[in-house]
Amino acid sequence: MMPPVLAETEETRDGNLFDIHPYRLLWRFFQYARPYRGWVVAALALLPLSALLQLWQPLLIQQAIDHHLLPAQPDGFGWLLVWFLLLIIGQFVVGYLQSAVNTLLGQRLVRDMRRALFAHLLRLDAAFFARNASGRLTNRISNDSEAVSQMISAGMINLLGDLLLLFGIAVSMLLLSPRLSLVTLVSLPFIVLGTLYITRRMRNIQRRGRLLQARMAGHLTEEVEGRETIRLFHSQDKNRVAYDRMNRAYLETTLEANFFEALQFSFIDATSTVVIALLFWYGGALQGDAGMSIGVVVAFIDYIRRLFFPIREISSKFTTMQSAITALERIFALLDTEAAITDQPGVHPLPAPVRGEIVFQQVSFRYDSEPVLKQIDLSIAPGQRVAVVGPTGAGKSSLIKLLNRTYEPQQGSICLDGVDLRRVPLTQLRRLVGMVQQETFLFAGTVAENIHLGDPGITLEQVRQAAEETGAMAFIQSLPQGLHSPLAERGVNLSAGQRQLLGITRVLAFQPRILVMDEATSSVDTLSERLIQEAVERLMAGRTSLIIAHRLSTILHADRIIVLSGGAIVEQGSHSELMLRDGLYARLYALQFAEKGGESC
Amino acid sequence: MVERAPSTPPLRWRLRHILPYYRENLWGFVVGFLLLAATSATAALIPYLMKLATDALAQPQQGQSLSWTVGLLIVVAVSNALLRIRSRTHIFAIGRHVEYALRRSYHAKLLSLDAAFFNRSKTGDLVARGNTDVLAVRMFIGPGFLQVANTAMVYAVTLPVMIALNPTLTFLALLPFPIILGLTRLLTTRLYRLSRAVADRFGLFSGFVQEAVAGMAVVRAHAREEDWQGRFADEVQEIYTAQMRHTRLQSLFGPLVLLAGGAGIWIILLVGGQEVMAGQLTVGDFVAFAGYLAILVWPTVGFGWILTVLQRGLAALERIGQVLDTEPFALLPATDAAPPATGQRGVLRVHGLHFAHHEPILQGIDLVLQPGSFIGLAGRIGSGKSTLLHCLARLYAVPVGTVFLDDQDLLAIPELALRQRVALAQQESFLFSATIRENMVLGHPDATEEAIWQAAEMACFAEEIRRFPNQLDTLVGERGITLSGGQRQRLALARALLMDPDVLLLDDIFSSVDARTEAKILDNIHVLADSRRRTILLVCHRTAALHRAECIYLLEQGKIVAQGRHAALMATSALYLGLHQQMARHEALESLQ
Repeated sequence: MMPPVLAETEETRDGNLFDIHPYRLLWRFFQYARPYRGWVVAALALLPLSALLQLWQPLLIQQAIDHHLLPAQPDGFGWLLVWFLLLIIGQFVVGYLQSAVNTLLGQRLVRDMRRALFAHLLRLDAAFFARNASGRLTNRISNDSEAVSQMISAGMINLLGDLLLLFGIAVSMLLLSPRLSLVTLVSLPFIVLGTLYITRRMRNIQRRGRLLQARMAGHLTEEVEGRETIRLFHSQDKNRVAYDRMNRAYLETTLEANFFEALQFSFIDATSTVVIALLFWYGGALQGDAGMSIGVVVAFIDYIRRLFFPIREISSKFTTMQSAITALERIFALLDTEAAITDQPGVHPLPAPVRGEIVFQQVSFRYDSEPVLKQIDLSIAPGQRVAVVGPTGAGKSSLIKLLNRTYEPQQGSICLDGVDLRRVPLTQLRRLVGMVQQETFLFAGTVAENIHLGDPGITLEQVRQAAEETGAMAFIQSLPQGLHSPLAERGVNLSAGQRQLLGITRVLAFQPRILVMDEATSSVDTLSERLIQEAVERLMAGRTSLIIAHRLSTILHADRIIVLSGGAIVEQGSHSELMLRDGLYARLYALQFAEKGGESC
Repeated sequence: MVERAPSTPPLRWRLRHILPYYRENLWGFVVGFLLLAATSATAALIPYLMKLATDALAQPQQGQSLSWTVGLLIVVAVSNALLRIRSRTHIFAIGRHVEYALRRSYHAKLLSLDAAFFNRSKTGDLVARGNTDVLAVRMFIGPGFLQVANTAMVYAVTLPVMIALNPTLTFLALLPFPIILGLTRLLTTRLYRLSRAVADRFGLFSGFVQEAVAGMAVVRAHAREEDWQGRFADEVQEIYTAQMRHTRLQSLFGPLVLLAGGAGIWIILLVGGQEVMAGQLTVGDFVAFAGYLAILVWPTVGFGWILTVLQRGLAALERIGQVLDTEPFALLPATDAAPPATGQRGVLRVHGLHFAHHEPILQGIDLVLQPGSFIGLAGRIGSGKSTLLHCLARLYAVPVGTVFLDDQDLLAIPELALRQRVALAQQESFLFSATIRENMVLGHPDATEEAIWQAAEMACFAEEIRRFPNQLDTLVGERGITLSGGQRQRLALARALLMDPDVLLLDDIFSSVDARTEAKILDNIHVLADSRRRTILLVCHRTAALHRAECIYLLEQGKIVAQGRHAALMATSALYLGLHQQMARHEALESLQ
């Protein structure tokens, strides 16, 4: 089931089969089939069976005509009829099984492949997601994988079946009458070349059509999104002309496609009839020869009718294979992307209880070439509250993201209770370090699900308790189903303040030892502001905290304030000490905090 | 999407949007029908000629007759092929032309509709209607007609011939056919429902993946990978289940058709065989019957399939119809009053303007803007500033008698004239994925090179354009993605300036522009107001613009609560003072970086 083409992307184009190494890709893909060896064997075993069932029918008709109908010999005709009935029923059953088994196989392989892809995505780090558009990653899992399943269910196995059928027809013909086979053989190159030519043309035209369709859809999307601009600048006419040009080109392409489509049908019909006519003519000339009978001619007519189908199919199946292989290439490229931040061998869980002492030693970090943090030295005692302030771009959020290994510093080390973070298992580290983001990301699901995030270790009672503690329960209770109320898309039905409270509650429910937080800058009303302040207080209680401060209360309650500028710590100390120095902190304080006092305008 | 309304409206009404095309192409359909008749007739000849050939072959001594039959067979086969090509392309072409016309009118309709319509529609849905639904309608018109007509013709021609050959055998051989028809119809309807279920599942699945990828940071920060892996596995399993449910039926389809054909042959063999042995039927008759059966199988299957296509086409037509039946807000009859001379042009008068969208936004705005004035508009977020600008640019439907441009009701100005006289540049103006030049000349396609550069110069964008390797022909990417936010804003401003409008509406166009450039642009705009007597209304979120404005209107909850110059407002309005301080603090913080 391919979704409709709505935009032109790299995915709508087919790659060239020969630019890549299809065999290596296919070989690697076959590894996914290992668990389903039984089904593969079944699918392959059905192929000769199906061919046999189809090829036997003309032979029975030949026998019926030559041995029963013409000599008027009813003996044994009943058995023949029984045989024939068994064949057609067998063909029905085998045909059904083939289609079902092939699809099942394709779907199962893709199911596994999707799981592998998703598991891999979960392992990849934040830097990877920053580089890759989410739409593209989604496409790998949805559309590319679907193309691969098509290859199995409609492509590869049937391709073998078609080849087998062709071979079988040729053998049957030769066995029946080598001479009549000659007539067919003479016409064969003509048939094959003709069919190939037409299907090839068809394919090109269809591809062009698809591309134009995608372009028109893209154009339409852009127009809908830019409709105000179009109206303001009165460019409707120009847009109409541009769209009409594509529409007309599409019309011409489809008319051309019509012709070739009709040609394809008619070519096969007409050619088979002409070959049959030649057969009659040659049969007449051969009359009296041994091995030449009416029954044989009739059987040949049947074989010739069956001959065209696989020839046409083989060509179209190559197209399916081609787009599947390019999809495979993209999928494997994603699977081959190494996760940069993983557990190294030799990690050892920190012994409980974790005290929460943090030491940065000469830590330097950069995203690309631009240094973000330069040789940071910082040590935080267990339970200490540290506020980070500084202008935008000073490296504040990078600093806190190093603590749960969202990013990894290029130089220096960060230790927790004296152990390098890289020697702590990631899972443990991330449970130890709770992170509150500026914007709380909410998933589709209920309020409770968004708090416990599916962790079976967090009971509903604990969720409720956390929500009570942060004061989020007040607004949760006002929702129709309380904790079990479903949240609309990304929590759009909640206010900014409510979303922040939920984010804080979530972290509290996970009971981390260390808290890192990027306070939201978005302004909320006074009441929410107070609620959030109190919630943060609760959350910090008894935990080592590192907080990017945007609220006055946060800096006033901090044990220590660090001023970051240009990736380095330029000042640190308590609020009063820093105010006395009258440096960057004093200026920042005057601009950012002094007049706010919780109130925002 | 509603598949079938509780009370189905009459077919004529449901087809109202394509009936004209049927009328237009009436002759086309007649010709197509005749071509189909000829195709069916020649097709029906082929099995008969084969019968003659077989019977001739069965004679111990065949004379000329076999060669004649063979020759005739070839001629008929070739003419049948040519006729079939002609008839198919002819009929499908009608469908394609209707598709073309339908796309065109749908597109034109979209361009004519206003903000109210788009605000209640989703982009993806509108695009799907203009694409997938149009395809479904085309299937309705082209293949739909062909299939129905073809099935009728094939039966009309083939059945009499078969009956003439042997009525009993005809009856018996066709016994499986009503079953095929019924089963195909049943299967296609159910398959359609199942494939929709698969598509819906697929949509949910994509949504899940999208969300998971977007929220990956949260998943990781709480070490919840395992849980998500489990949920993903469930989603994938759901797709698998839906797909297999579809497959279980889908796999029946092909084998069933083959079974019906095979059963027909078997009946012919069973009944006809006895008659051949009894000498009542020739072997040729037997061959002919097999041939006729083969001719009938596919149109019968096709007929069952096409009923589903027709049903789907009607549903698609309804969805397209919903858009085609929508009308943009009504304008007054155009009073083509000649605008006053340059210099006095551009008087914008707003009188008691109320505007609501779900809730009241503007609540009685009165103001008069004179040519050559540079007016500021300030207020908190959500106070109605942008809405007012949208109303003045007639993007929203304003009530009659509330907004006047040079004493002419805004609703009475023809579209083109209005757009030439009033221009709006926004904070997030839309850029098309085209070149800078194409984006600039959007409203003024014949602008000279000189005028383009001049506008770019005024918007302080010319320097940067010169630094691009392809200058004006630089591609800006989707939504102008390759430009910085400030560059996008200045390009949008240049585009509006190039229109050289009487009234220039600017909605917070400096949010991503640095202070030095902002000052230069403000200078240029001032010159425009002074020397060329243009009316300029600027929504300000920054202090510099406020300081330069000749008059500032302060908006609060959809009302103008204060007006005056900056200094006066600082002294009299606490709201203004607060807003100004907030802006100043923000700008000072920016300058620290």
